[in-house]
Amino acid sequence: MSNSATEMLVSASIEFLQAYPPFDRMERGALEFLGEHVRLAYYPKDSVILSTATGVARTLHILQRGKVMARQTGDVSMLEFSSMTLGPGECFPIGSVMAQRPSTNAYTALEDVFCYELPADDCFSLLQMSTAFNLFCTQYIASLLSQSRQQLQSQFSQRVAEQQTMNSPLASIIKKEPVAVTRDTTIRKVVEVMAAGRIGSMIIVDGEQQPVGIFTLSDVLKRIVLPGTSLDNPIHSVMSPGPHTLPLAANAYDAALAMAMHGVRHVLAVDEGGRLKGVVSERDLFALQRVGLRQIRQSIDTATTIDMLLQASHDVRQLSLNMLAQGVGAEQITQFISALNDTLTRRIIQLNLDRHDLFGIDWAWLSFGSEGRDEQTFSTDQDNGIVYICTDIMDREHTQLRLLEFARDVNADLDRCGFPLCTGKIMASNPELCLTLEEWEEKFDYWVRTPEPKALLNATIFFDFRPLFGKFNLADRMRLSLLRQTKGNPLFLRMLAGNALSVLPPLGKIRDFVTDTDPQHPGTIDLKRYGARLFIDAARIFAMAHDVAATNTVQRLKLAAAVMNISPEEAAAAVDAFNFIQLMRLRHQHSEQVQGREGDNLIRPDELNEVERRILKEAFRQARKLQQRLKLDYQL
Amino acid sequence: MSWLPDLFNSARGQRGLLLTPGQRQSIAFWRQLPAADMTRSHTSIRYVIVDVETSGLNMKKDCLISIGAVALVDGKMDFNDTFQVVLRQDQVSAHENILIHGIGGSAQSEGMDPVEALLAFLRYIGKAPLVAYHAFFDQAMIDKAMRRYLGMEVGQTWIDLAWVLPDFFKYRADGRVPLDDWLRLFNIENILRHNAVSDAYATAKLLQVAIAHGVHKGADSPASFIKIEKARRWMYESR
Repeated sequence: MSNSATEMLVSASIEFLQAYPPFDRMERGALEFLGEHVRLAYYPKDSVILSTATGVARTLHILQRGKVMARQTGDVSMLEFSSMTLGPGECFPIGSVMAQRPSTNAYTALEDVFCYELPADDCFSLLQMSTAFNLFCTQYIASLLSQSRQQLQSQFSQRVAEQQTMNSPLASIIKKEPVAVTRDTTIRKVVEVMAAGRIGSMIIVDGEQQPVGIFTLSDVLKRIVLPGTSLDNPIHSVMSPGPHTLPLAANAYDAALAMAMHGVRHVLAVDEGGRLKGVVSERDLFALQRVGLRQIRQSIDTATTIDMLLQASHDVRQLSLNMLAQGVGAEQITQFISALNDTLTRRIIQLNLDRHDLFGIDWAWLSFGSEGRDEQTFSTDQDNGIVYICTDIMDREHTQLRLLEFARDVNADLDRCGFPLCTGKIMASNPELCLTLEEWEEKFDYWVRTPEPKALLNATIFFDFRPLFGKFNLADRMRLSLLRQTKGNPLFLRMLAGNALSVLPPLGKIRDFVTDTDPQHPGTIDLKRYGARLFIDAARIFAMAHDVAATNTVQRLKLAAAVMNISPEEAAAAVDAFNFIQLMRLRHQHSEQVQGREGDNLIRPDELNEVERRILKEAFRQARKLQQRLKLDYQL
Repeated sequence: MSWLPDLFNSARGQRGLLLTPGQRQSIAFWRQLPAADMTRSHTSIRYVIVDVETSGLNMKKDCLISIGAVALVDGKMDFNDTFQVVLRQDQVSAHENILIHGIGGSAQSEGMDPVEALLAFLRYIGKAPLVAYHAFFDQAMIDKAMRRYLGMEVGQTWIDLAWVLPDFFKYRADGRVPLDDWLRLFNIENILRHNAVSDAYATAKLLQVAIAHGVHKGADSPASFIKIEKARRWMYESR
């Protein structure tokens, strides 16, 4: 029976629901169906709303008033803190209703609770009716995370509305058909075509249309005119072989990153068969960028003084901020910052090599910590070291002194360019961290065999090393021996896991978040210590236990998941959660810097909006899942 | 001279002159419905929660303008099982009064024929126990209209939450707590204050609270609520 009373109560319910996702995006018809089919129930404080014993979940609950605690039961109940708090607008138990199985959680009213209840059958009708609801339920976590990304993006997009986004696929950036020739075409012919068509670059392809080389206008001078090369020679004798290619589906950001990493000006877009589909030049990306990528890259590469690099480091920061504003994901921004900072660091090293004679020494510059993981944020200090080879034991002291002198200058220059000296002295100029390959191996070996607290702490910093300059194979050898040691030492990994579990995600039992762990900053959560680090620590252990050489947390999670029997969806959820936390950190540091403050990692959950709060909660739950896996794996 | 038409109407109602055979049949049908067993548990009985809007607070002079009602079945509220009616008024109520309940003059004179409206209400409530806050007023106004238009005594069981609730909470000891105080206490929203449906909705949520706490204290049926109400009234009156 439909009457005016029904209408009034249904529309009041709809109005309530519309304040929360996914109902805020639900189609009008579906909302009305929902409003007409729910029943309103009340549960007093402390009563059990739903438990495993209730049997198959036949009702979807949508909280209207009050809070509910969900607590894991059954096999996993040995894990403490496996509970979470739900508030108005939240649904439960989504998974169990969808799968028509008993709930794995027990739901208890923490306060007096009113909730809407939708019978499972109506829930299924709603799934058919509403794509928004369907998306929400089937991609429960993924959908929440993407909403947040969209929201963050829209917050910034007002300021950069006129800029095309760096997320555009290459297919949309490429405007012209690519011009290509075969390997054996004469130089004369190629130059004629380029001149006639006013083309800046020519792609050389093989019989399958797969690019094998690139030849640009600037090569004409250096490789043909000056050396006096015959114009009748085939083009492959003067082309740059092995051009950088990206799939058509890659986005502008990927192209920018490839250019920044490899110092090239062109990236070729290819289809699934590796066939040439187009050329993306830096100029094409200029339109997308306020601060030119190439300008930065070039100013770094051609800088002859530290002052010039100082300017470049400002530009790197500005560019990253622009990317943040354009909605580029955290994973990409942090990698991007790392890539450009790498370039900057390399240039500083090169400039110092002019003044320090290291001839005859095999050495490599190493990055540790966040830099080693390719996860630098806007506020980052130095974490570096040196590995070298000393063939003659008599030379060791002398060689080390030469390297230390050099390192001191590099550290000081990095400091001037915006990478503050490390307060913990984790720098190449520290004699403890300027070591021969054997010494590094011994050091690592010692930490692995005697996992005392200090050693475990060191492991979390130094085991994420990455070579930046010099003989990269030295770092590869360090990695091989490290993985050999850790794999053969389960006790060490167990201790490392125990260490990782000493910090728990700040999920409150009653309130959403625990925000009072730091008496100096009440009401805040340190997203580095209580957020990002939980993922980083877990990923490191997964990687070392399963022979994964990568140092990047996302890479580690993805690669380790494959061998750990973790489904790609689960791994993706963890990666999304980690990226969300990183994005929050970046955004927070950005706003801190805009206000002229030193960027910290302290965010106030109270100042987040409803969606962000819920995603942050979900992200912490993902961290807890990783920790639970550690507990199971190492029987902790 | 507002008592004149009232007198006139009730006289005719009592004689049943204005009721059609169909209408009389409806009443007879309602009378034959089995009485609700008040000793059954809260979750196996249907409660109807009622709120009325009137032309004023004088039970003798003022008349019924609208009835709003919602039902609890299994202790849960289903928005499809709800009721609202505006009774057609011969005389539109005073302006200040319109401001309170928001039912304008034209809505009042376009309302449903009072006889049909009250029959619809009877069909909706069946023999379910009726619940209201400060129920004596709602009961008096509805009983008066029933006598006047249908010429009948309804004799339905009413439960007054104003008397029952204080038994479960030490909040206030007597039946004089304003409804809004309880609503605030339990964080119950009122969609549109002084709208009969909205007030009935809020009262229904209050009944849900009372049921849950009542069960906890052994008051698990309408009969036990009635007992509580009687005892409290007696205590209050014999003070």
